[in-house]
Amino acid sequence: MSSPASEMRGAPAVGAADAVIDATGVHRWYGEGDARVEVLRGVSMRVLRGEKVAIMGASGSGKSTLLSILGCLDRPDAGGYRLDGVDVLQLSDDEVSDLRLRRIGFIFQAFHLVPQLTILENAEVPLFYAGVPLRERHDRAKSKLEQVGLGHRLHHRPSQLSGGEQQRAAVARSLVLEPPLLLADEPTGNLDTENGKAVLALLDRIHAEGRTIVMVTHDSAIAERADRTVHVRDGLIVDSAHAPAGKATA
Amino acid sequence: MSALNVTAGFVQLAFRNLRGYKLRSFLTTLGVVFGIASVVTMLAMGRGAKEEILREIDKLGIRNVIITSVKPAETKGGAAQRTWVSAYGLRFKDLDHILATVPGIARALPVHSYAEQAWFGSRKEDVVVQGVTAGHFDAVKLKVAMGRDITDDDNRVRRGVCVVHLGLLRALGWFGDPIGFRLQVGEQVYEVVGILEDEEFRGLARQALSSPAPSQGEVYAPYDTVITRVGLMSYTRRSGSFEASNVEINTVVVEATNQDDVLVVSRMLRTLLDKTHDVKDWEIVVPLELLAQREKAQRVLDVALLTIAGISLLVGGIGIANIMLATVTERTREIGVRRAIGAKRRHIVGQFLTETILLAGAGGILGVGLGWVGTFIVGQFTQWEARFTPDVALVALVVSCAVGVMSGILPAWRASRLDPIQALRYQ
Repeated sequence: MSSPASEMRGAPAVGAADAVIDATGVHRWYGEGDARVEVLRGVSMRVLRGEKVAIMGASGSGKSTLLSILGCLDRPDAGGYRLDGVDVLQLSDDEVSDLRLRRIGFIFQAFHLVPQLTILENAEVPLFYAGVPLRERHDRAKSKLEQVGLGHRLHHRPSQLSGGEQQRAAVARSLVLEPPLLLADEPTGNLDTENGKAVLALLDRIHAEGRTIVMVTHDSAIAERADRTVHVRDGLIVDSAHAPAGKATA
Repeated sequence: MSALNVTAGFVQLAFRNLRGYKLRSFLTTLGVVFGIASVVTMLAMGRGAKEEILREIDKLGIRNVIITSVKPAETKGGAAQRTWVSAYGLRFKDLDHILATVPGIARALPVHSYAEQAWFGSRKEDVVVQGVTAGHFDAVKLKVAMGRDITDDDNRVRRGVCVVHLGLLRALGWFGDPIGFRLQVGEQVYEVVGILEDEEFRGLARQALSSPAPSQGEVYAPYDTVITRVGLMSYTRRSGSFEASNVEINTVVVEATNQDDVLVVSRMLRTLLDKTHDVKDWEIVVPLELLAQREKAQRVLDVALLTIAGISLLVGGIGIANIMLATVTERTREIGVRRAIGAKRRHIVGQFLTETILLAGAGGILGVGLGWVGTFIVGQFTQWEARFTPDVALVALVVSCAVGVMSGILPAWRASRLDPIQALRYQ
């Protein structure tokens, strides 16, 4: 399956040569006329390759909507968005699906593993959509699960695992196609401290391997582990603080 | 990505998904199971009936037209007639007339028969002696299992020989070698030269030819022998009085040269006999017409049964569609997750369509099994012949998969149209 993205890699905006995420003036609203509610009111955000960025904000601030747009699940009503150099707004539904499949790994607060499938089968799901042959699917999913320490749980159902194990399985699933970008929505929100730490350590390791991570959290302790933190309030980015060793622009 | 890989992947996926809903999946398929089972049974019964008709065609002598002499309805007072000799039916000149005027006749074989009793020692059996010519057995599809046929030579020299069913000799208490047995019929003796094959099946032609006597009690002797020995008169004892009748030919088996001419020939025969006979002392039986009636009735029955089976299949399909729609709603979040992970719409369509087809297909297989059992049971407890054949099973499987596609389209389409974000948030 050919990736439409590679053909569409046009001349990127100045200074965005190595930006994985390049959103400019993103607006998102619901409803029409007087009933129109603006959730995002012109958000611009750029994340460079290899960065680890935390997004913080109160509930209702628009951070979830922002993450949906960054993850190509939603489209902005105005503004522009390039993911890995590709103009997302120009793509068809199939092409956006392919973008999610190959360039973005999703991690959800509620893990979102498919309940009737085993851990191994869950991890095979993206490989199937990518057209990887049967045997290879199995091997690659297995090796990813082994990397997150679930080699002994391959044939368990999600309901038979602890929350931490489920989230690690979800991480493995998000990585089987080696996407450059990992989007995490409150990855430790449903976990106890112990398991949360393990998952965060795992994310650190993935980051260290060179992957870009954008993570929504409301826990400032977690946000501190990021290279920088972006604060969202009332649909606007109010502050983009650099971590001490910051190497980013915004 | 090869098509085979994708298909295999969807099937694997469908199996994995359905595994999580075993009882529901089973119950969902039940509608199709029973629908397909009834279709299979109906088709098997239709097939059996058709084969029965075809076998009848073969045994009937489909090119035959059978003319029988019948006693005309009495028009005058009975008392005056009692002592009369009633002469009626087909005469020799009718036969000549037919052969001379009606075209398209391969042969017309006369039969002269009379009722008598055969006896051996103290045992007696009612029989009908049938004087037949060479070729009679061939024309009415009787087969000689042992010994020989009645020949032209038998007729020419008026040999006292006969061909019978083995059952007659058994009934009379003779268990020795049937060939050469000297059969006593009334005052005549006929030497058995041939034994007829037992009919596992009594064709309509035979019924028309041999009623009212049982077919077992038929003694076939050369036509000329019978005419010479017993003459044309036959006597029947009826309510205290004798009745004598003079019938020259009891039956004529007319064979048309080819099947297409049968109806024309029978029409011409009717016209001819109508003209030459003052009273209706004859009857024409056309096996082909009987067959056509049977086939017509069968077709009506086939259509009715298949319609019922089709309706039950439709209900089964609606059942599957209904459950799949509910399943899509229930699995909304799974669909959202899959979309977020990178499934295209066609992947979602493929997933749910494959699940539905698999359910319907499994229902089809179970249904074929049940239908096979049903066919067997119908065959056991009714007189109907039911024939289960592999092509019936194949048709049933194709139909059930088609039902799966039909009932899967709407749920699958709906699943693929869900908004990923809303689907993800669905509780």
